Amino acid sequence: MNRVVSNFDRGILDKIHASSIELLGDTGVRFPNREALEIFKHHGFNIQGDMVFFQETDIEKAVEMVPDQFTLHARNENNSFVIGDDSYRMAPGYGPPFIIEPTGEMRQSVLEDTHKFCKLVQTSRALDFNSSIVAHPNDMPAETAHLDMLLSTMLLTDKPLMGSTSSKQCAKESLEMAGIIWGNIDKPVMLNLVDSLSPLQYAQEMIDALMVYAKAGQPLIVHSSCSMGSSGPITIAGSLVISNACTLAGICLAQLINPGTPIVYGLGGSPTDMKTGGYINASPEDAKHTAIVTALSQYYNMPCRSQGALTESFSLDYQAGMEASMMLSTAALSGVHVSLHACGTYGSMLAMSFEKFLADEDLCCAIKTLMKPIEFSEDAFAMDLIKKLGTSGTYLLESHTASRCRNEFFIPDLNIRTIHSKWLEMDPRPMDQRASQLLEKRLSEYEKPDIDPTIENDLIKYLEQKKK
Amino acid sequence: MSLTDIINAVVSLKKDEVVENVISEINKGTQVDDILDKGLIESMDVVGAKFSSGELFVPEMLMAAKAMQAGLEVLKPHLSGDATAEKGTVLIGTVKGDLHDIGKNLVSMMVEGAGFNVIDLGVDVDVEQFVTQAQTQNADVVCLSALLTTTMPVMAKTVEAIKEAGLKVKTIIGGAPVTEAYAHQIGADGFSDNAPGAVELIRKLMAA
Repeated sequence: MNRVVSNFDRGILDKIHASSIELLGDTGVRFPNREALEIFKHHGFNIQGDMVFFQETDIEKAVEMVPDQFTLHARNENNSFVIGDDSYRMAPGYGPPFIIEPTGEMRQSVLEDTHKFCKLVQTSRALDFNSSIVAHPNDMPAETAHLDMLLSTMLLTDKPLMGSTSSKQCAKESLEMAGIIWGNIDKPVMLNLVDSLSPLQYAQEMIDALMVYAKAGQPLIVHSSCSMGSSGPITIAGSLVISNACTLAGICLAQLINPGTPIVYGLGGSPTDMKTGGYINASPEDAKHTAIVTALSQYYNMPCRSQGALTESFSLDYQAGMEASMMLSTAALSGVHVSLHACGTYGSMLAMSFEKFLADEDLCCAIKTLMKPIEFSEDAFAMDLIKKLGTSGTYLLESHTASRCRNEFFIPDLNIRTIHSKWLEMDPRPMDQRASQLLEKRLSEYEKPDIDPTIENDLIKYLEQKKK
Repeated sequence: MSLTDIINAVVSLKKDEVVENVISEINKGTQVDDILDKGLIESMDVVGAKFSSGELFVPEMLMAAKAMQAGLEVLKPHLSGDATAEKGTVLIGTVKGDLHDIGKNLVSMMVEGAGFNVIDLGVDVDVEQFVTQAQTQNADVVCLSALLTTTMPVMAKTVEAIKEAGLKVKTIIGGAPVTEAYAHQIGADGFSDNAPGAVELIRKLMAA
């Protein structure tokens, strides 16, 4: 690990763990799902109604079964990657039903938006995989919208992808589509986000999805968070305990179903706006959760996930940049392995913006450059060159500089690096307008990745069948 | 002592003081309807206004509502008939498939604080339940809440079912992803993005 991992006192982590275990044993976690309750019952858990009570040994056994890293495979193997090593893997927004235009207008997102975002993901030098709901297609029937989104990702990108966790059916159908590409799925090809419902429970549909994917050996992000002061305690310590307990309970179920199911540990926490009761994200309190979640995931020896370039803002302004940067840099420097929402979201994750997506890409690339270990090779020390030039001459004329000039530094696509007079002459000058211009260029230069025509036809046919 | 003291006690979140003041007004022989309308309900209007202006925070507003409720409990035995039912019956719930209830509970407490008879159906309420309850409870307004984009379509189905059942009840919607435009699109009678706003909306709809 080359990154600076926040150094939380082991005693604090022990206390968070012990308090979580106490909650799991005394209060329990609600699993309103008959099949899940049967599984717990079969393994001798104490169950009262739909409340499940855990002992420390149950959690310890489950945690030990979780692999410390795994490979998420793409249909183009060159894009496969490991989750849990020193890398920071990023996906765009997850779940927004709206698009905010540069004018400020907010409209419902449609399938065409999903397609555009897929094209951006495919051509992104920042993003490693696509989310399953980059923008919800409101113009498609709700019952099959998850398949429209998955098909778009499968055809327009060849990066790793995520499955739908909206229901048992959604999860099963996601796997069936993956089966068309991979045949017998015997490796992780689909990352799946399971969120708990604070305080201390899971929704029935999420449990269904968790069970479907765990049975199939597909990796799960088991994530819990609360809105501090409304769906959980107002304090960070309380929030950590309540969410850690819930995440551990979900991990335990997955391991009971299929020991060794790859897990990405997820935990977050956001303040409730005490002035409105609304959810706030991208706050310093969110960032503090991010800083400690990596320490907790290392405590349990599994990869972790945090939020991405979030903001409460609705435009490409100082607030958006400040909040996104704080969230993403905290995650990167703390050692987070996976972030959703790394590009494109505005206003509490409710809306996507193409322009913010492109601005966030610069941020993601800058962050990844920041994380890159400093090179200390002989060539990097450049001793011969330093001695040769001494106090005269310019390094610009040297091949050492020329050979490295394209890759040594972070070069932004959108951020400006110019002189004032040139900036005044820029047309357009505002960042959102320049982003719109860049968007057109990116979309026009997009090339659809190769796919076996038989597979493409089978995927399209599958969706057509499901829509009948 | 005056009705203003009741208002001040509610705004100061002093439950015991609210109860003492209500008892004192009853003992003084103040009209119970005045204690209700010009004391307790008025106090929640003040609280609502202070909340809307940002002066009061949500937990404080809720503590105020609890203080007001405590006063109302003391007053209830003295009220003629069911005073809250006379003001109107409001049915509220989070739609099928959605278990989020923070916003719904806020609205519920504020509407109750405004003197309405509130029937809270809880979360994950299916369409038929809304229709049946609206009918049997003779509701004036039905409030639908949703946080998930995936459950928003259930709002549309519920509004449609209420109309198909021929009920004259008004429907209003709220929740993080919900907008005025969406309310219009699905034929709901109104939308509010905050609890005091919902109270105002219900009052307007009831007056119409």
